[in-house]
Amino acid sequence: MSQPPSTNEVGGSGASTPPNGGVRPIVDSRSIGKSFGALTALAPLDFTVGPGERVALAGPSGSGKTTLLYILAGLLQPDRGELFLDSQAVSRLRPGKELSEIVGLIQQQLDLVPQLPVVQNVLAGRLGQWGLLRSLASLVSAREREMAYNALSRLGIADKIDERTSRLSGGEQQRVAIARLMLQAPQIILADEPVSSLDPARADEILALLTDLVEDSKGAVIASLHDPELIKKYFSRVIGLREGVLQFDIPPQQLTAPVLAALYGFDRDFPNNSAL
Amino acid sequence: MIWIEPPRPRPVSRFFETRRLLSLILVAALVWSVASVDWTGGIVHSGGGNALKDFFLALFPPDLSPGFLKLALAASWQTVVHAVAGITLALIIGLPLGVLASGSLGNPGRSRLAVAATVRFVLAFMRSIHELVWAVLFVTAFGLSSLVVVLAIAIPYAGILGRIYSELLNDVPQEPLDGLRSSGASPAKVLLYGRLPMALPEMLSYGFYRFECGIRAAAIMSFVGIRGLGYEIQLSLNDLLFSQVWTLLLFLVALVLLVDYWSTRVRRSLGS
Repeated sequence: MSQPPSTNEVGGSGASTPPNGGVRPIVDSRSIGKSFGALTALAPLDFTVGPGERVALAGPSGSGKTTLLYILAGLLQPDRGELFLDSQAVSRLRPGKELSEIVGLIQQQLDLVPQLPVVQNVLAGRLGQWGLLRSLASLVSAREREMAYNALSRLGIADKIDERTSRLSGGEQQRVAIARLMLQAPQIILADEPVSSLDPARADEILALLTDLVEDSKGAVIASLHDPELIKKYFSRVIGLREGVLQFDIPPQQLTAPVLAALYGFDRDFPNNSAL
Repeated sequence: MIWIEPPRPRPVSRFFETRRLLSLILVAALVWSVASVDWTGGIVHSGGGNALKDFFLALFPPDLSPGFLKLALAASWQTVVHAVAGITLALIIGLPLGVLASGSLGNPGRSRLAVAATVRFVLAFMRSIHELVWAVLFVTAFGLSSLVVVLAIAIPYAGILGRIYSELLNDVPQEPLDGLRSSGASPAKVLLYGRLPMALPEMLSYGFYRFECGIRAAAIMSFVGIRGLGYEIQLSLNDLLFSQVWTLLLFLVALVLLVDYWSTRVRRSLGS
């Protein structure tokens, strides 16, 4: 371990003061960019996110949202620029324990292992902390089962704890993924289209749960989604991406029909729920 | 610091050429073999037709005398024991080698690729020699012992299982693996919590298929002189006791059907 691990308790590390006297950003992207062959997935991008912020990423498919989230999650290395999370260069953080304490990713249901029982998928949130032997033993007989149970009961699906994950509905699976994040307890929660496959009521619930996790913790949430109403309801800021280039970075109140039409390339006015 | 698999470029054009060359060789071999048949003399030699008729008529009925059934049962049991031991050993060797050959352990880098390539070579060597050849080799070393059959099955089957398992472990959906990585899982933990559970149903299914093949192989291999179904078949054949041969063959079919039934039950209980 080359660096002292940051504290596991989210929000417990706010003691150090930033050099400029302002609020120290929790995400600091300095010109990060990424290309796949000739395709520029992400043009050099500068932005910061402060603690407590809830940032929505909007933009059409292929606009670089997923690429950006994967870079922020440390799963993809940017070609250029440098990314600082909690004031530490990501390239110097050890993957595994250190990185997983700072940042966690949730995808549209796809991040669960369908064949495992729910409890194992939730406990996977502890893999960054557990050693290999403990991880192996837990597959045979679940360790820290109470933690998984508590998280699942907070989400209202404690009765599913021993079900095979593939038997759960989409909304239930998304809760399992959130339960995993609760056990991982990262400071920054990244969500890649977390509600795109859910009905409106389920989508509302899931976003409430996700953004609640941040209010608990002074961390930050960055989520890609399309629905302007949900963005206005749950987020404090919205970043627009198109073809890998930042289009706007505004409060959700300014997300008007013409702004959206320009972002998504509509000719007509943007109907409120068409993105669902 | 990244555990994402780098995209593996495939030499498409060269691969295609190699394949075309292989196809040509195979077609040439087929043409040559058909051309080399001596059509003028007939395919079945004189008296062959009668022998075939005798053989098939002996099926009605096969030898069902209690004494011979007991012998067939004992031979079947011997064959099953050989197959179970062989396939078990093949799994014990093949699974870890398959994991290494998949390159899913350890951080990306030259050393991981070198290990994977070396293991793949070893697996190819093990499976490129047929189990009967291994059996003949081992008989010279160990004599007529059960160990010969067990090892002769275990080695090539470990090569096949390792090869197939390495591919199954790599061909799982990537998103759940990314999910585990973002939870801080190392490659070994991604293997335990992601690759293995997702690949397990197919790995099991293929293992059962190989077990089935193992039973046939164990039966045939006792032709070299080790007790088992093949040994008894050979003895009965030498004495032209076709109804006994049929009894033994029916036992072999029953064994394969039993394994098939068992594997269906296990797969159903896994819900796949």
